[in-house]
Amino acid sequence: MPFREKSAWLALIAILLSFGPYFAIVASGGIPMEGLPNMRMMGLYTVVCAVQVSILAIGHVCLRQASPVDARTPPDERDRALMYRCRTRAYYVLITGTVLVGCFMPFYTTGWRIVNATIFMISLAEVVYYGSLVASYRKQAA
Amino acid sequence: MKGVLSNRIRTLRFNHGEMSQSDLGQRIGVTRQTIAAIEAGKYSPTLEAAFRIAAVFNVPLDEVFQWEGD
Repeated sequence: MPFREKSAWLALIAILLSFGPYFAIVASGGIPMEGLPNMRMMGLYTVVCAVQVSILAIGHVCLRQASPVDARTPPDERDRALMYRCRTRAYYVLITGTVLVGCFMPFYTTGWRIVNATIFMISLAEVVYYGSLVASYRKQAA
Repeated sequence: MKGVLSNRIRTLRFNHGEMSQSDLGQRIGVTRQTIAAIEAGKYSPTLEAAFRIAAVFNVPLDEVFQWEGD
């Protein structure tokens, strides 16, 4: 498996392991979303970001040590073509999220509900990007 | 317009001292996995990469890639 595919897997796993539990807690109502600044929600979000960054940092160090030559090689034309195609898919998710969250949600809700909806759409776009990238690499694997 | 882009890279590699996919990849500036994907017909290279591959084997482009279709 090439370094770029491993890197995409790592990013996908990191976002699922960090923001999966976050949205599970948010959806279950574990932390009330009313009131601002709502430091409990802010604290949870900070922890989740720290977890994601840690998984990515440790994972990339391990991947680079496992295949240092591949890690130094810049993306080739196939990598760039796949990234371009997957970014396009993720863009549509992100723009849909922007319209829903930015244009409709302010009419009926406020505060952390809007923040969490924004985080959700950004996370979903990232999942679509890395998920498509991993699927494309798998599809083209010989 | 439907068609299939086939290639003879595997044969040409064999005829050039069993050149490895890594070697060919290094010579045209792509990874071994990209060469494998091109050979398997799962990725169509850019025109530039196609010409580079032909240049490595010192043959015209249409001896490496063939278009079969309408």
